[in-house]
Amino acid sequence: MKKRIWRFIGAATAAGLLLSFMNMMNPDSARSMDQHTWTDREKLVLRSLWLGSLDPLPVDPSNKYSDNPRAAALGKKLFFEDKFSGNQKVSCATCHREDYFFTDNLPQSHGMDITPRRSMPLIGVAYNSWFFWDGRTDSLWSQALGPIENKLEHGISRTMSAYIIGKYYRREYEEVFGALPDFMEDTFPQHARPALDDPEALKAWILMTPEQRAEVNRVYVNMGKAIGAFVRTILPEPSPFDIYVEQIVSGKPLKSRMALTDNEARGLRLFIGKAKCTNCHNGPLFTNGDFHNLGVPPKDEKKPDKGRAAAITQVLSSEFNCFGKYSDARSEQCLQLRFIETSEEKYTGAFKTPTLRNVTERPPYMHAGQFATVREVLEFYRSKAQNPELGHDKLTDEELDQLEAFLHALSSPLKSLQTDEK
Amino acid sequence: MKRLLLVFVALFFLLSGCAAREDQMAGHSAEMEGMTEGHGHGDVKVTKHFDESLTKLTDNNLYSLELVIPDEHLKMGVNTVEIIVHHSTGGDVAQADVTVTPWMPSMGHGVMEKPVVMERGGGLYSVENVVLSMTGHWQLQVKVAKDDKTDEAVFDFPEIKAMGHEHAMMHAPPPKDLDYATEKMTVNDIFKVSYKSTGGLIRINRIHSWELTIRDADGQPVNNAKVTVVGDMPEHGHGLPTQPEVFNMGVGGFYRIDGMKFQMPGWWVVTINVMADGVHDAVSFNLDVL
Ligand code: HEC
Ligand code: HEC
Repeated sequence: MKKRIWRFIGAATAAGLLLSFMNMMNPDSARSMDQHTWTDREKLVLRSLWLGSLDPLPVDPSNKYSDNPRAAALGKKLFFEDKFSGNQKVSCATCHREDYFFTDNLPQSHGMDITPRRSMPLIGVAYNSWFFWDGRTDSLWSQALGPIENKLEHGISRTMSAYIIGKYYRREYEEVFGALPDFMEDTFPQHARPALDDPEALKAWILMTPEQRAEVNRVYVNMGKAIGAFVRTILPEPSPFDIYVEQIVSGKPLKSRMALTDNEARGLRLFIGKAKCTNCHNGPLFTNGDFHNLGVPPKDEKKPDKGRAAAITQVLSSEFNCFGKYSDARSEQCLQLRFIETSEEKYTGAFKTPTLRNVTERPPYMHAGQFATVREVLEFYRSKAQNPELGHDKLTDEELDQLEAFLHALSSPLKSLQTDEK
Repeated sequence: MKRLLLVFVALFFLLSGCAAREDQMAGHSAEMEGMTEGHGHGDVKVTKHFDESLTKLTDNNLYSLELVIPDEHLKMGVNTVEIIVHHSTGGDVAQADVTVTPWMPSMGHGVMEKPVVMERGGGLYSVENVVLSMTGHWQLQVKVAKDDKTDEAVFDFPEIKAMGHEHAMMHAPPPKDLDYATEKMTVNDIFKVSYKSTGGLIRINRIHSWELTIRDADGQPVNNAKVTVVGDMPEHGHGLPTQPEVFNMGVGGFYRIDGMKFQMPGWWVVTINVMADGVHDAVSFNLDVL
């Protein structure tokens, strides 16, 4: 009996020794103990990325219908409406798929034709100040007007849009925006718009009376405001990362039940530290909303996309911007436009920092789908360490693995739109 | 990495003195003191050890200075330079008191941040924290004092640029013990400026306003100033994403800056230029944006 005990104790000590020896040999397992320990400053950073820190939806002073539920309900129908297209087959949802985090899986989108850039996820998009990869519009409603008249996307006109509204959505429209103008009953050009790329449509537009043009614009804008009111409601849901931050800031983390694995936590530590990703991917949506030239290879070497640089005059001169007569804002409320940085030099080849929520679930990546996988994106970042805005130290293969693991932890299912059906 | 290299080079100097620069001199076996430039004055000569250095005689011909910029170019932001002080008659000057002052002649101002000079031995002095707060014409005034003999020279840099990506270098983190005071005297002690963010704590990615108070050295409010604002991230050579506007409130030395926005976390330097009654001065505030 005694012997047995001794043998047992002997074995146990040997095992214990072996274990601690292994721990010494493998610094990783020793470190894993404090993988979930964060300094106070790090905790502040984690908190700033946490979904719980997301402010209430920002007011859009340029759209007085933006929080009107009936406008949003109409907007939702219009978002999924195929009739608003040259071939009756394209809706906003063609390129912003609900089953694909409101973007699509193509390097460049397909509407009536192929667009020069990739589609963008719409989750939490209302928190942006500028829309599109280059920020060429300053509100969701004016943004929504772009694709409709874009030949490559919906490929119709504002008169056609007004016509479809009058024919299929009259009641819903009038409930929110008041009576449609009288002349809509009569015939008016179905394809008229102030566009230089379409002389026929331009001529038809010029031949309309100024009053008619103003009325059509009014309907067109209201349509955008309804769609904008809907797009605002697409919001992110908590991810494992958010649950993790709650565990950390609550001060009683349960080591055995952390929402992030050790490897994901290491990736997070790199993300906010050595890899400096929070230089730009900051705040609860993991974006600063600003424009940066990372040196992503252009899709077309001969005609490189100028990005933000080419959008500055566009947004300043748009009749549908926050200063314009279709905006509901007083000009002093148009902060972004008032203080816009106009240096084209600074913004040549610069694109908007995209959100990283759900990023691993929706390849491809970058403004023209230049990279097919998150790994390629990370390899790209590693190769660009000399860009001062990135400015991270050398990243090892193992560290790229950890960053990738962390990005996976930013995924969460989307709340179904059906649940809030009125 | 670069810094490590510098330390090695410095150590090398320390151990072997000035003459032992064979590594750099490989290929030019010429004796170094002989490498004078054309503009010697009698016995006075300019000594040059490094091919890429800038040289200057001090105003009274006491010293010949060699300025080495490890990153090739000075740029907006934080820079490090090296200065080698030689006697104008040849030989290195050790244990001198060297001070370096960045100056913007067109604006008539410098910066709050004082460069830190460290002697490395063999007449070599390394100068860290040379902060150039904006793009444009800058000068580095270098003053050398030893044994009651003081002399100075000005190095001129007509066009300091924000760093382009192609020339990008990695940067040192903000110097330790940065002064985050929100009330400071301007560089030449002409105005006392304080700021406050109107929304309280400054939050990233948010357009917000600042309240400025400008007083003169006697504490009297200055109500007629022309004020401009420049924001910059010294580590990235990156400015504000907005163009702020300054409104003169007309009383109490109060001014309001609208349109401030910081889109990246970390160390920012906001420089306020004040021009009143024909006098121009400026002050730079450090901020830690989270
Ligand atoms: C043919 C495909 C296609 C269609 C149809 C389409 N989009 Fe897009 N969407 C894109 C592309 C591509 C971009 C980026 C374009 C760019 O930057 O130039 C984009 C960008 C956006 C953005 C900007 C997101 C951001 O973060 O800035 C919003 C919002 C948006 N679309 C909403 C809509 C709405 C609303 C509709 C319907 C009226 C619509 N889209 C129709 C492809 C499409
Ligand atoms: C200087 C700002 C900046 C920094 C720092 C930065 N990013 Fe980005 N990120 C961007 C911009 C801008 C884009 C879009 C670039 C484009 O399309 O040209 C982007 C795109 C991405 C994408 C693709 C997302 C999509 O939907 O296409 C991923 C993934 C990403 N970044 C991850 C990271 C990681 C991980 C780090 C840290 C190693 C990092 N980023 C650091 C600005 C930045």
